[in-house]
Amino acid sequence: MTFLSDPSVTNPVLSSLKIKSEDKIIFIRENSLADSNFIITHLFKQLLHQKSRICLLTLHNNFNHYQTIGKILGYDLREAEGKGDLKIIDLMEEMVEYIDREIEDNIHDERSQIIKCVYNTMEKQIEHFISTNNQPVYIVIDDASHFLDLGVELGPIIGFVNRCINLTSKDNVHTVINSHVESKSDLILANSIQYVCDVFICVSALKTGKSTDITGVMTVVREDNEKKYHYRTFDRGVKTFNPCDTIYNLYK
Amino acid sequence: MEKINSSIPGTVLSTHNGNLLTSSGIMSLDPLLGGGLPVGTVVLVEEDFRGLYSKILLKYFLAEGLVSKHSTLIASQDVNPAKILKELPAVIESDPEPDIKQEGQAITDKMKIAFRYQNLPTSTAAPRSKHIGHHFDLSRNISFSNVDKSDIDFWTGEKLSTGYSSFINPAYSDLLKTIRNKIKKGKFFLKDNPEKKSILRIGIHSLGSAMWLPSRSSISCLNENCQDLYMFLFYLRALVRSAHAVAFVTIPAYLYEEKILERCIHSSDIAIKLDSFTGTELEKNQSLKDYHGFFYLTKLAAINSLASKNSGSIEYVFKLRRKKFSISVLHLPPDIETKGDQMDSNPMLGCCGGSNKSLLEF
Repeated sequence: MTFLSDPSVTNPVLSSLKIKSEDKIIFIRENSLADSNFIITHLFKQLLHQKSRICLLTLHNNFNHYQTIGKILGYDLREAEGKGDLKIIDLMEEMVEYIDREIEDNIHDERSQIIKCVYNTMEKQIEHFISTNNQPVYIVIDDASHFLDLGVELGPIIGFVNRCINLTSKDNVHTVINSHVESKSDLILANSIQYVCDVFICVSALKTGKSTDITGVMTVVREDNEKKYHYRTFDRGVKTFNPCDTIYNLYK
Repeated sequence: MEKINSSIPGTVLSTHNGNLLTSSGIMSLDPLLGGGLPVGTVVLVEEDFRGLYSKILLKYFLAEGLVSKHSTLIASQDVNPAKILKELPAVIESDPEPDIKQEGQAITDKMKIAFRYQNLPTSTAAPRSKHIGHHFDLSRNISFSNVDKSDIDFWTGEKLSTGYSSFINPAYSDLLKTIRNKIKKGKFFLKDNPEKKSILRIGIHSLGSAMWLPSRSSISCLNENCQDLYMFLFYLRALVRSAHAVAFVTIPAYLYEEKILERCIHSSDIAIKLDSFTGTELEKNQSLKDYHGFFYLTKLAAINSLASKNSGSIEYVFKLRRKKFSISVLHLPPDIETKGDQMDSNPMLGCCGGSNKSLLEF
């Protein structure tokens, strides 16, 4: 039985994604010049509605961004954080402090240490979540390709992602990874995650160029089933529609 | 849609998404960005081949900061930043070269046949709000009284701090250190709560040019050393996000491969590309004779919002006049040959003599 209050039924993006509790590893690939951030912000809506707990590792946007969009979509991340249902690891903010320490104290640079510290923090938080109750726990990483910008080599990044995926072997633990693809290293990272994921979501810009009617293309792959949607972002939400009925959906 | 933020001069608070906006200095650019540059963002400008127009954009950005009493940091390894400062355009009261079309539009554009469309808007652009920026005159330089009172710092990369750095070229880490110190000293961090709030404008000219190569490296290594550029932009974005600051970075795009540039664009919030007609076949194109190049808004990130303000498929062009740099929508003239051209192209028959009659007329 479906309920109208369930966002996975009423929300156009979530009803297109059809994320279920059995989906353990969800991978979002963001292609060049596309913005897949709306997938994560919409997923939060579903996860918080299902009383899931979230551990968010953010490398591309700050908390304020997620909070503002959350308010638009009808959820409050600050409230969730206050309740202990959300843990945010803002690596951008952490790295500002890291510049200070690196420059002032001449700390010997070991980039892979950053990734180890991040994993340890996340693992502790997941264990804390699991110990409190049986509700689902989601690890959300946005976006993993920025580790390459930080000078971390591909091997340790794939190792980190692998360890996060291994956490999903525990009951009720799920992973959502977003990664931007531009360079060859980005592609290797994305292909590695795509190979093991349960749901693969690919967000791309239009091949034909920019359009005022359509923002981009979203492809959802689950096992052998592939579905393609066009989407358009608005100030108050995102609309999805099949490529063949674009005009009908836009102007109805 | 915006309300003026009285606590920080030269800024407006967007009621649309809560972003604090500041002017880019160019009147015609701010509406394209949704009202101005959001504070806490990195603007990346892909330079034109000669770096002429991108430098003008940077000068406008810095001049606007000086007039709005913002703190400024100018960094360059190619040009002396003090020289950039001296060449900033002077502020003036009104538009130095207003578009003639705008003034007489009401009378001349009256439709005779399709009169029912008379009152419809001519473009899909958002309604104009009160502008926070100033007008500048490119033919005159800024007065010293404006410069002397301002909080301006320069970075030339001549004296680099020693110590271990994770960058191949220590110049990148030294510039980051300078920016971090400036933010800390001026209490620009969001967590700081100074009595008088202001904004820091960071202007970086020609980042990643040949002058940014590490020692004992040739220009052919530029694409191999792009890791420094990626890391710098990530740290710069992290720094700027955590402060009341805006960074305006120009990059000599023609030196880098497309993939590298796209990665840099991903690490920035707003990306602009200036594609000058100079030296190309478009230079002599009659339909583009009124313009100096194409203006591309490659990226306009949706910060604190779901939808980007990028206007989509509209093509823009820029024009540099004597006193003003302007960006406008590309309007190609109708494809009608002039009378003179037609006459030249028609071969004259010997029996027709000097007659101006068309060949089809008897």
